[in-house]
Amino acid sequence: MRETYEISDRFIGAGDANHLLYEPLSSGLTFRRTRRYELEFEGERTAMDAFVRKTLFDEISHDLHEGEEPGLSGFTFFLDYGMKPGALDLEKEAILRYYAGITEPGFTLKNLKIRQRIYLFGGKVDESDRFVRDICNAAIHQWNVTQANV
Amino acid sequence: MEERPCAVLLKFPGTNCDAETARALEEVGFVTETLPVSALEPGKLVGVSLVVLSGGFSYGDYVMSGRIASLVTEQKIGKTLGDFRDNGGYILGICNGFQILTQLDLLPSGSLVENASGRFQCQWVTLKNLAPTSPFLTHLPAEFEFPIAHAEGRLVTKDAAEAAEYLSSGAAALTYRDEVNGSFERIAGLQDESGRVFGLMPHPERFLHRQDHYDPDWKSTGEDESRGSGYYFFRSLHESITKSN
Repeated sequence: MRETYEISDRFIGAGDANHLLYEPLSSGLTFRRTRRYELEFEGERTAMDAFVRKTLFDEISHDLHEGEEPGLSGFTFFLDYGMKPGALDLEKEAILRYYAGITEPGFTLKNLKIRQRIYLFGGKVDESDRFVRDICNAAIHQWNVTQANV
Repeated sequence: MEERPCAVLLKFPGTNCDAETARALEEVGFVTETLPVSALEPGKLVGVSLVVLSGGFSYGDYVMSGRIASLVTEQKIGKTLGDFRDNGGYILGICNGFQILTQLDLLPSGSLVENASGRFQCQWVTLKNLAPTSPFLTHLPAEFEFPIAHAEGRLVTKDAAEAAEYLSSGAAALTYRDEVNGSFERIAGLQDESGRVFGLMPHPERFLHRQDHYDPDWKSTGEDESRGSGYYFFRSLHESITKSN
């Protein structure tokens, strides 16, 4: 079975997208970051869901979105990026090590895929290549750009 | 000969302020032991008066700052820290340690999220001492300065009313005099109902001596002019613990 969760920060609004770039754009884009966790598992779904809520989610400061659909709306495009399968993902390692220490978790975590997602808002032309160039590192990252109208 | 109280500093992967915090504790009269979380077990706190969670970036601040460290602590020693407090022990969290304590539910409910500025802030701040009888603050004046260095120091609560309640209940022991990072009610430090668990974002261990201050003409209000406000923070704590033992 596979479940996807997207977690966004409740108290952090859209910021100036030029902060993500080495050279500023003139198009006035803004951005928000979220984190996306894709879990492949066997066993009790409720146990897996409880694990996610305890480990990855903060009731006070986060919003949790379940499923494949984007957690935010009104964007121009979003960039998903994360570590290549062969690259060391320290966040994944920390989460898996904690999971491994749980006695009787109620489910078996078969795989965990973590992606940082950056939503870009505004702008009239596709400038996603600039963000890919300045944020992603081809040596360690995999990425994917999704346009709003696709 | 007077017995010196023992302070244990928990060290997680990414903790990086434990050495100077240990130095600060030793300067006021504690004996210290730095304990890697891998060696943490309930029996390690026997005979200990103070547990300190120092600043740093535990587990790379992954998921959210303090989250993985709190989960690992809970996994290794369960509710031992709560029992330690209930049996008279003191717990201090500085910066990342404060973030961990909020995640461990040892302080009033709240989370420390990204600064309103969206940036890492490294600066001196003026703090208001709202709890002058706190074991951590007795030797500090109504206003004093400490340095801060954090990206995620904005204290938020489930709603604004809860943060206001912390001011009226006394849980908010320290506030920023000026707007700094967007914290609700400008809260910089919290204490629990017992007063023995205390967390703050500023770094008292970085202001032990007068010359640590940016202003060469800065004058201490304490009895020893060579000391900074951070010294008096730790001295307050030492005095409270030795009196209670």
